Amino acid sequence: METIIQSLFDGALMGCIYALIALGLSLIFGVMNVVNFAHGNFVMLSMYFSFWAGSLWGIDAVLTPLITFPLLFVIGMLVYYGIIDRTLKEHYTIQIAVTVGLMTFLGAITQLAWKAQPRALSYSFIQGNIQFGGYTIALSRLTSAIISLIIIISISFFLSKTWPGRTIRATSDDSDAASLMGVDFRKTYALAFGLGSSLTAISGGLLMTFQQVDPTMGLRFGLLSWCILALAGLGSIPGLLISGLIIGIGESLAMTFWDPRARSLVIYLIFILVLWLRPRGLFGRK
Amino acid sequence: MLSEQILKTSKLTKRFGNLTAVNQVDLEIKKEEIIGLIGPNGAGKTTFFNLITGLEIPDEGQVIFKGTNITTMSPHAICKLGISRTFQVAKSFTEMSVEEAIRVGAYNRRGEEEVQNKVDWALEFFELEDIRDYKCSDLGLSSLRKVEVARAAATEPELLLLDEVGAGLTATELLKLMSELKRLNEETKITLCVVEHVMQMVMGLCERIFVLDAGELIAKGIPSEISNNQRVIEAYLGRRSYSESSSTG
Amino acid sequence: MNRKKNHNLENLLLLFFLVIALFVPLIFGSNQYNILLVTTVLIYGVMATSWNIIGGLAGQLDLASFAYLGLGAFTSSTLFIRFNFTPWIGMILGGLVAVAFALLIGFPLFRFRIREVWYALTTCALVEILKVVFNMWEEVGGPVERFLPYFSGSLYHMRFGSYVPYYYLILGMLVIALLVNSRIARSKLGFYLKALGEDETAAEVLGVNTRACKLRALVYYAFLIGVTGAIYANIYGYVHPSFFNGQESIKIAILGIVGGRGITYGPLLAALLLVGTQEFLRASLGGEVSGLYLVIYSVILILVVLFKPSGIATFFQYRNKKPAKQEVKKKSVV
Repeated sequence: METIIQSLFDGALMGCIYALIALGLSLIFGVMNVVNFAHGNFVMLSMYFSFWAGSLWGIDAVLTPLITFPLLFVIGMLVYYGIIDRTLKEHYTIQIAVTVGLMTFLGAITQLAWKAQPRALSYSFIQGNIQFGGYTIALSRLTSAIISLIIIISISFFLSKTWPGRTIRATSDDSDAASLMGVDFRKTYALAFGLGSSLTAISGGLLMTFQQVDPTMGLRFGLLSWCILALAGLGSIPGLLISGLIIGIGESLAMTFWDPRARSLVIYLIFILVLWLRPRGLFGRK
Repeated sequence: MLSEQILKTSKLTKRFGNLTAVNQVDLEIKKEEIIGLIGPNGAGKTTFFNLITGLEIPDEGQVIFKGTNITTMSPHAICKLGISRTFQVAKSFTEMSVEEAIRVGAYNRRGEEEVQNKVDWALEFFELEDIRDYKCSDLGLSSLRKVEVARAAATEPELLLLDEVGAGLTATELLKLMSELKRLNEETKITLCVVEHVMQMVMGLCERIFVLDAGELIAKGIPSEISNNQRVIEAYLGRRSYSESSSTG
Repeated sequence: MNRKKNHNLENLLLLFFLVIALFVPLIFGSNQYNILLVTTVLIYGVMATSWNIIGGLAGQLDLASFAYLGLGAFTSSTLFIRFNFTPWIGMILGGLVAVAFALLIGFPLFRFRIREVWYALTTCALVEILKVVFNMWEEVGGPVERFLPYFSGSLYHMRFGSYVPYYYLILGMLVIALLVNSRIARSKLGFYLKALGEDETAAEVLGVNTRACKLRALVYYAFLIGVTGAIYANIYGYVHPSFFNGQESIKIAILGIVGGRGITYGPLLAALLLVGTQEFLRASLGGEVSGLYLVIYSVILILVVLFKPSGIATFFQYRNKKPAKQEVKKKSVV
């Protein structure tokens, strides 16, 4: 019984972090209808950048997003204007194909640059465990989860209360109407893409406080975020958070009680189940 | 010969969130009729067509076609039963030639041996033979419209729904299209239901007219009744008053 | 008229290529390494051409080709290893197993109105799932290679002392894949697939059962790949969960797109050019090439998709649909 609860805790904490990763993707897919296969690779790239910042300049992992966030934002905007923008008027498979190419490209160059061995940063200042009623919680995971939650809530606020945020929402609802109101939808798209990508920098930095990074993570995080999106459906941030928790907990339980190798298996099975039974997700608006 | 009912909707209703796009619409169409469906923009006409052709599922009500309840059938099954349609914003097969596009429709009822005959018939009927090899994306507006109609007609429907095929055409093109539709109805006995804003087309072509406004059926009758109907005139208030332009002939 | 002439030219070139291909092993004589090399290139050609059915004709971005390859390989090989079952039938069964899995994911995902992105993602997931499952499944797979019994020349076992017979087997598969492609493209199914690729809604209301059509394309594709998988296992003499390779599956899709989706010989062309060059370089320069080559593949994909989305095979095709918008406008006013 105790193991179950411990597993639940760990899973829930990871779930918050996963939800943040998925949030970035949700911004891109939900707003622009752009399928970004390379989203997971952005996370991985952020982790590698954090690794660089940490090992070259000794910056603590949790602070690296200060550098990587603007960096990923710029990269996101460049990717949008350079690649995505041109494919918007083409057949949908063209747009998906180009991000598949991007995913492959990023995966290949990270493999070439950093080789296959995993990279990790030395311990962050948030290390150690805390005891909570007989259960152990890693401080780094707890902090990461809390920070993720804060960011998620902030983004939610940003989207509903600030002008750029409402522009993004308006454009996602109806880009024609939005452009009639003077919104340059391409700029909004670029902003959304940049923001969605830069959010991965925060997740990346947080993950580096307790994890290592290797070239296979791109695909793993990519599929993970899409699974969360599929489970959640579009249009609800709380839904996204809950789905993140479900996935995190599912993964954790699978690792504890089934087989550590099965961690992703459970996620993919949930994915396929959702698509079989409820394609618009648990909380989807449409 | 008593004209049979071919299509009947009862209490057909569709909501999108707070908006009721189609509200308790009861409508009947008889075989071989040419029916008009008019109403101001946003009245729900296209949604209505979507409900009939299976692209939307109604929240309430039924659609009965030739005695069969088709309310929840899939669009391709409905086409097989005998309903075909065009779209307000032309959904052309841009990379296909005119002939190939029509062929897709013709395969609905024809196998490999006979399909070419049907295609040739459609090309000849709608006078598209000269442009049969042209890519659909290269066509001018009126040709595009005709291809849409030809493609749908090639499926050999019993009921053909036309969504604003007259919009944007010149007067000459319009007359041409109207005569072709009339011929289509007379020669192939296809029932037509025409959604239109171009009043000339509606009044000149249709035997009976239904009027939608804000999702509700507000009037039905023969053209002269409709053009003098107060409620209809009010529905169009703020745009041209159509009672002046009705030419019953 | 132009179109017919051009079609015949393309077919002639293809025939010419196939005839040359017949004699290739004779050129290499007993150089087994080179024969394996060209066989590998042809395997990619077969897979890419088969992919064209689902990815080109049906317009679905399928990223699971190596999932079906692996399934075919494991099915046939397991029956071979355990029960001395002939791979000639084993490969048919391998194809069927691949089809079964394909239908499992195709059936829910090809429903009208489900966005195509979910299909692409699920195919990605399928490869990963199978990799893990077969890694964990000690009975049949497990982390160690399962070797096929060696025979220096057994037709029954489809095991030969030289790579030459395998080369011809794969060449035969290539011909079959090309034929299937061209037959479908010209049939009702081909027209329906093209239509739904253009506009699914319009196709549906014209009587096209979009889901059924996509499933049919999927079945042809998965079966061909599954059969190829069985042969693949016999060529290399073992099976291993690493056969379920997501990266290579994406590569097949890249070949299909770069070559020219929907064009029968397009993916083959891309395979010959890209994989041919890669294998040749690998032979000359050594192992590190594959990492670099993946970078090149992805860049080529992005460039082609941005600047020539119809694929490189279209460089060889005539523009045979007349444009002349003005002409049409003139006619319709009369």
